[in-house]
Amino acid sequence: MPIRVLIAKPGLDGHDRGAKVVARTLRDAGMEVIYTGLRQSPAQIVEAAIQEDVDIIGLSCLSGAHNSLFPKVVSLLKEKGAEDIKVFGGGVIPDSDIPKLKEAGIVHVFTPGSSLEKIVAAVRDCVQDNE
Amino acid sequence: MNSTDFRNLARTISRLEDNHRETVSRIIQLPLDRPQCHIIGITGPPGAGKSTLCNQLLSQLSEKGKVAILMVDPASPFSGGAILGDRIRLNHLAQHPGIYARSLSNRGNPGGVSRWVVTILRLLMDKGFDYLVVETVGAGQSEVKIASIADTTVVVAVPQLGDDIQTAKAGMMEIADIFVVNKADLPGSEKTANMLREVAMDSSGQWKPPVCQTVATSGEGCQQLVEEISSHHTYLVDNNLLEQKRRNAARFELVEMSSWLLHRQLEELLGERQGQLLVSGQVDLYSRLEKAYEAFINSLSEVSD
Repeated sequence: MPIRVLIAKPGLDGHDRGAKVVARTLRDAGMEVIYTGLRQSPAQIVEAAIQEDVDIIGLSCLSGAHNSLFPKVVSLLKEKGAEDIKVFGGGVIPDSDIPKLKEAGIVHVFTPGSSLEKIVAAVRDCVQDNE
Repeated sequence: MNSTDFRNLARTISRLEDNHRETVSRIIQLPLDRPQCHIIGITGPPGAGKSTLCNQLLSQLSEKGKVAILMVDPASPFSGGAILGDRIRLNHLAQHPGIYARSLSNRGNPGGVSRWVVTILRLLMDKGFDYLVVETVGAGQSEVKIASIADTTVVVAVPQLGDDIQTAKAGMMEIADIFVVNKADLPGSEKTANMLREVAMDSSGQWKPPVCQTVATSGEGCQQLVEEISSHHTYLVDNNLLEQKRRNAARFELVEMSSWLLHRQLEELLGERQGQLLVSGQVDLYSRLEKAYEAFINSLSEVSD
């Protein structure tokens, strides 16, 4: 059973290179990756994740709005009774913001320079924890 | 439907895809013969605009009833993974309460669709969806399984893909109930439409496939496409042809599933060691397989009794 991942870009920045690299890497690791593209609202992302029955959501944000957008996705999942869907994030995120994001329920935060192997391993680990 | 309903539906589809026996056995007993439902197949080459066209179709069909769409993309032959990117075109409909959208990997199944499509359609029919749209992988000339599944098959072409010999070839050109020339704002659109009209005129059946010209990004021509889709449904119902279509789909479902089981077993049986043996020659495994096959065929009579 392949792991299903949703890769989404919440908010208004148009930089999707990172998200696409991660999507292809997860594909090459044997996962089914639903890529939803740019400029998504947290509500759209959560609805897509539910309809696609994904195990985990990856959010990429380079606009600086991660502190409001990432936790919003987690709280909407909870509201819809889908809190078993994990959320990880990445992008241009200052180290000082990471503890707060983790506290809000983001399981991993990957900043520029993160190794792709680590991202794959982290995704596998959190999905296996769930099962 | 609310999020909880969608969640349950989505999970059942995953269990079907994973060949969960109890789920398959339950869903396969749901009826596929609801005549008021319309199964619409959308196929065509990669980049022809199938997903963008589906976005237009969904927004129009959702005014008339509940719509579900299954969007199939190919799995990697190396990793088994997939990028399912059709949803990008549907984003503004993502929160519509009357639309359910699901991306499917073909999981290596040839022919343009996922091997579970018909079974998933049974489930969606049972959940009260009126329009069931299936978008195939970006298809070549011979990926024609959609015609065994859909009531109405829409073949999407674009201008300048070749001369009239391309349209004379067997395969994709023969399965259309409706032709679409998308990107009709590009030069050459009228010529492509004319070539397809000739194909349509030569078609042997009573139904002559209409040719629609659309610009999916702006919505131009899409109203006419929806009208043609609905006239084809009326034609099938009025001529008692819909039942035949659904019988074909149900047969296709079983053949597809069982040939996959057989194929999987064979691959396993002829593993590494046997591969070595086979490549060196000197053995005739084929005759042994043929013998086993005979025994298998004899046991099949129990299935249909």
